[in-house]
Amino acid sequence: MYAKSLLFTTALLPAVAMAGHAEEGWPEPVKEYYTGQVLFDRLELTRTDEEENVAVWDMMAWYGGDYHRFVFKSEGENIQDDGEPTDLERAELLYGYLMSPFWSFQAGVGTRGSLSSNASMENYAVVSFMGLAPYWFEMDNSLMVNEEGDVQFVSETEYEWQLTQTSYLQPRIEFTANLTDSDKYERQSGLSNLRVGLRYRHEISREFAPYIGVYWNGALGNTADEMKRMGEDTTETGVVLGARVWF
Amino acid sequence: MNNEFNKGRRKFIKSAFTVASALAIAKVAPTWATPQGRKFKDQVLTKDEIDLTIAKSPLLVGNKVGTPITINGQMPGPLIRLKEGQRAKLNVTNRLSEDTSIHWHGIILPENMDGVPGVSFEGIKPGRTFKYRYDVEQNGTYWYHSHSGLQEQLGHLGPLIIDPKDGDIGADREHTIILSDWTFEDPNEVFRNLKVAEGYYNYQKRTIFETFEDVRQHGLEKTWKQREMWGQMRMSPRDIADVTGSTYTYLMNGRDSAMNWSALFKPGEKVRLRIINGSAMSYFDVRIPGLEMTVVAADGQPVKPVSIDEFRIGVAETYDVIVQPKHNKAYTIFAESFDRSGYVRGTLTPEIGLEAEVPELRAVPERGMAAMGMGAMAMSGNKEEKGMMNMSGTDGHMNHEMMHKKELPVENIKIEHSEGGHGAAAAMIAMNPTSRLHEPGIGLDNVDHRVLVYSDLIGAQEWPDKREPERQIELHLTGNMERYMWSFDGKNYTEVDGPVQFRHGERLRLVMVNDTMMDHPIHLHGMWMELENGQYPRPRKHTISLKPSEKVSLLISADAPGSWAFHCHLLYHMKAGMFRVVNVA
Repeated sequence: MYAKSLLFTTALLPAVAMAGHAEEGWPEPVKEYYTGQVLFDRLELTRTDEEENVAVWDMMAWYGGDYHRFVFKSEGENIQDDGEPTDLERAELLYGYLMSPFWSFQAGVGTRGSLSSNASMENYAVVSFMGLAPYWFEMDNSLMVNEEGDVQFVSETEYEWQLTQTSYLQPRIEFTANLTDSDKYERQSGLSNLRVGLRYRHEISREFAPYIGVYWNGALGNTADEMKRMGEDTTETGVVLGARVWF
Repeated sequence: MNNEFNKGRRKFIKSAFTVASALAIAKVAPTWATPQGRKFKDQVLTKDEIDLTIAKSPLLVGNKVGTPITINGQMPGPLIRLKEGQRAKLNVTNRLSEDTSIHWHGIILPENMDGVPGVSFEGIKPGRTFKYRYDVEQNGTYWYHSHSGLQEQLGHLGPLIIDPKDGDIGADREHTIILSDWTFEDPNEVFRNLKVAEGYYNYQKRTIFETFEDVRQHGLEKTWKQREMWGQMRMSPRDIADVTGSTYTYLMNGRDSAMNWSALFKPGEKVRLRIINGSAMSYFDVRIPGLEMTVVAADGQPVKPVSIDEFRIGVAETYDVIVQPKHNKAYTIFAESFDRSGYVRGTLTPEIGLEAEVPELRAVPERGMAAMGMGAMAMSGNKEEKGMMNMSGTDGHMNHEMMHKKELPVENIKIEHSEGGHGAAAAMIAMNPTSRLHEPGIGLDNVDHRVLVYSDLIGAQEWPDKREPERQIELHLTGNMERYMWSFDGKNYTEVDGPVQFRHGERLRLVMVNDTMMDHPIHLHGMWMELENGQYPRPRKHTISLKPSEKVSLLISADAPGSWAFHCHLLYHMKAGMFRVVNVA
């Protein structure tokens, strides 16, 4: 054991010392670089066809180097003036590794549910493939498994049409599929939800870009059937006003 | 009465302002960049020992006050004029709050005088003075700059001219022009923007309306074919410069276009222009409309005269050209950023105050198939023909055409590539890298005048080491724009185990392959690189620019024992890790 660790240390040390021919006390000519970013891809106010006003956020923050990063993702909404607490759709802490030029693999844990003191949160493990597909489709695909063993897959894809150097038309598609039924969380297996949106975004600066947009949201398959049985509306449309912001 | 008072006051304020701005201008204008320039047989007024003080001080840059790093109070720093054969004695005092350094770019000197913190010495601590001492065994146009962090972006640079032993500059008069790029942003912020937001400074992307227009003109199928490859590779053909005129003010001897740096000549005089690209990130295309330029030196080293109308100067390169204006009128010296996002102009004039027409910026160029390493396929296309059209005319270009039929050594070197061979650090590999030394470069391949190409360059004399190479080293230039990763062989500096080993005394062939979509100026410290461009004597370079998907070969005599930096001279690429240490032992 001791010999092994000694071997490891001696194998490592010359490598470090040799890289820059640095004499003792000399700085490295090039240092490792770490940085981070907080990006609110969507920070918006939605007006639904039910005449509800909903505040929505969808953000990601990361810190790290070229290959290894800590990633925090959060998404949720609050229906204004309904007296209900905020609905946290996801809050995830992940470790991300750049596995190919355009794709990173992320793994971590998440929680979601109603942000009220008496509600119990749903905790889950999550893996994601996030990156840029050919033809510049920005994707985030996540597979979640909760404590009950329920499995869910969520896929988000965005595309950008460059209108001018500072304005964009951005379609967005998001779908959710349950791989298992869940009694506790009232989920039915199969494709459950599809959300399609289109935004027009104008950059005041690269960091601050207000947008307006529309979306259509629909329940699918077993989920839609269940909702119909309960007498609920299975589709929703709305307009959004918001901003894409990063710092 | 009151009115009168106000008028007087306004007048006072106005004159105070004028004085202040005049002072500011006097301060920003490097004293060496005078309109008179230097005449042949002027006495060289250099002190035996030169003191340089590095400090941060507010200066007028263009029309705004910035806080550059100044050298003896000016930005760019003083012109240092040395004489071949002398011993250089340069004392550099650091008045910054952080470490600094000066690297003498292109100078052959002992390793501990090369000025790269962490490679040749420990750097210069705040408040300390470092005494550089070396024998000057060459002459020509060079420059110096900081090798610490991103200080170069703040203007920590200046020209270094070495007179030949006989003092003959080969012209009646000479002017030195150092081009640079200035930003009022914090350079660390610039780097972070590049790291976190791909395309941050690119305001020349292709829009959907341009796509519609292409469909209308060429049909859907052809447009799709053109777009398809770029889409698959997730790259933009308009990705030419990482940092652009959207943040940069381009400077000529520290002045912007409005300040119009001017240089005098007498009609009929032969004027030698020593042009240095001291930019952090910007390639320039330089021309003087109405004047033919004769290139007489590249990277400080003499070449056989080549007559041209325009040349591209990569970051850190230098070119000496001779012009002979015959008319009693002003000429614009036009340096256009190669992505066409901006320019800086100066004026060559028989009397101060004149100026000439300033050309329009040309259209934003797009990268073609050759950039993707499909050069061989593009060869039959019209692009190549246009390239050849430029070549007809002067003797130099006749030579070139003959040369082109001769095979370059690099054309026989097979580049082995495996798919994904450089890992996540390389967003592409050049499918079929080719020699592109005869191409003028993006945006210049269909201009209607003569543009310098690397294959035009012929060394003015034979170099001492005439041996054939004994060994070959291959390095690939790699990158991933999405995360702004830049490296050699897919590994940035912090990931490599050790230096690149040269054996002392050996003759080497360095083969470089550009597996990226960008141009990179690659600089080797301490030793010359002879460019195998099919000419003999070969031109010697300290910095060689590689076009996308290009392969080049260079001969190196490993005659300088010690550790030397080897890196991409785009400042933020170096910062990202496109850097190696070469150890000669």
